[in-house]
Amino acid sequence: MKILIYEDTGWRDLLPLTFIKCVFEIRCGYDSVLDKIRAVIPDGEIGLWVRDYIKPLMAKRYNLPVNDTSFFGDDLLVVNGRWLPSSEGRIVISEEKIVSYKGEIIYGLVRKETVQKFWNGDIDKFLSGIKENVRTEEKETRCIRYPWDLIVYNPSVLKDDFIRYGRKGIKGEFHSIAAIVGDSEKLYIEEGAKIHPFVVIDTTHGPVYIDRGAEIFPSARIEGPCYIGKDTQIMPGANIREGNSFGDVCRIGGEVEESIFYSYANKYHDGFIGHSYIGEFVNLGALTTNSDLKNDYSNVSVYLNGKPQDTGSLKVGSFIGDHTKTSIGTLFNTGTIAGLMCNITAGGILPKYFPSFAWYVNNKFMKGYGLDMMINTAKTVMGRRKRQWLDEEEYAIRVAYEMTEEERKEAIKKSRKTSK
Amino acid sequence: MDYKEIEKRVKKVTSEVLGIDDEKITPESRFVEDLGAESVQSLELVAAFEDEFDIEMEEDAALQVKTVGKAVEFIQRHLEGK
Repeated sequence: MKILIYEDTGWRDLLPLTFIKCVFEIRCGYDSVLDKIRAVIPDGEIGLWVRDYIKPLMAKRYNLPVNDTSFFGDDLLVVNGRWLPSSEGRIVISEEKIVSYKGEIIYGLVRKETVQKFWNGDIDKFLSGIKENVRTEEKETRCIRYPWDLIVYNPSVLKDDFIRYGRKGIKGEFHSIAAIVGDSEKLYIEEGAKIHPFVVIDTTHGPVYIDRGAEIFPSARIEGPCYIGKDTQIMPGANIREGNSFGDVCRIGGEVEESIFYSYANKYHDGFIGHSYIGEFVNLGALTTNSDLKNDYSNVSVYLNGKPQDTGSLKVGSFIGDHTKTSIGTLFNTGTIAGLMCNITAGGILPKYFPSFAWYVNNKFMKGYGLDMMINTAKTVMGRRKRQWLDEEEYAIRVAYEMTEEERKEAIKKSRKTSK
Repeated sequence: MDYKEIEKRVKKVTSEVLGIDDEKITPESRFVEDLGAESVQSLELVAAFEDEFDIEMEEDAALQVKTVGKAVEFIQRHLEGK
């Protein structure tokens, strides 16, 4: 059987997190959505299906067939790349059927004859064809639709992942005057991780997993559930509240609550980040802070595809695209979206939406130093962390730049009008 | 628009953005070294020139312009191409 993990048009509702990443590369809990899907799918030949402009990048990143039409010549297990499996165990499926959640396909086994009947080269038409014609069973699970879903799901995913990883105990260095509050069975410190004096790890509300090479500096407090990725550093005195997930090689200081940091994100200094998703190679300047609760305690709305959308949640922070940088003292409004590769400097009440690649300086959107210079900066930043720059990534960035040109120009025009 | 008129308006804009008396601005003045433009002010100058002359400038090319005189020539080329 062939297994196709696909990205549908839902990637647009997950911007800015998906400009140069596929939906299944999003992080939640201990790892990516793809890692979680791979843990539950049966044995078989795996292929990926993604939007065109990101195809070369995915082919480079994963040693898997990408957009290979030969997959549509056999029995096929289709798996939605936005599915966040829980600890329900491996998929067991032998008859032709679709499993759905809130009307969306989660996964489904489609027999060769049905595949050939509905495959005409268009993945979206194929998916709607099988959805309408194959027996469908609704199931309670998790599927990411909007960026804020990740924040809602993260605490429970953190707990599930601790069970899935199945490890506990202290293998790394744990200083004699560091402390564990709560059940020590809910703590795992991997070999090569180092816990300095006066660190407090509190597992009362959930497990804590500290991965290889991570270092927790003196007087930091970490509440579970929490995952700290490989070689990530938690700076002295940091206040890591419950429900956080930090990828690999992050630098985290200040106060952080119920947030997800992609690998290589940097928040070295003080400042509060809550209910937020911070992209790869983002750098938050000292004292950068976001609001995650409105003063009137009403639902937070977020700009999505150019329109404000009610998130249905009282607590929603910021969603910050890869490579974006903020100045010292930046204060983000509740429910802010900052796109890919923005440069944002502090000043007054900030807008709730920053188009990708925008520069926001002295309370105005303006043309920055141009895409080439932003790319050169990104190369420097990645080189400092020994990460290779990929031509395929640059291609995806350039496509994203063109995609977002109109909204960027519009923001600059509006900004100039209001500042006159 | 002739060169002199463009130069007059470039000096006026530069004076407003950088807070410098326009009599101190000459065609040879370098934005960074002589007039003290910070990196952020360079971006503001580009925006202000675009507004003043109703033109669109490529960021990379505009930021390569180092002196007031070169800015006048750069803008004149843009106006001629309009």
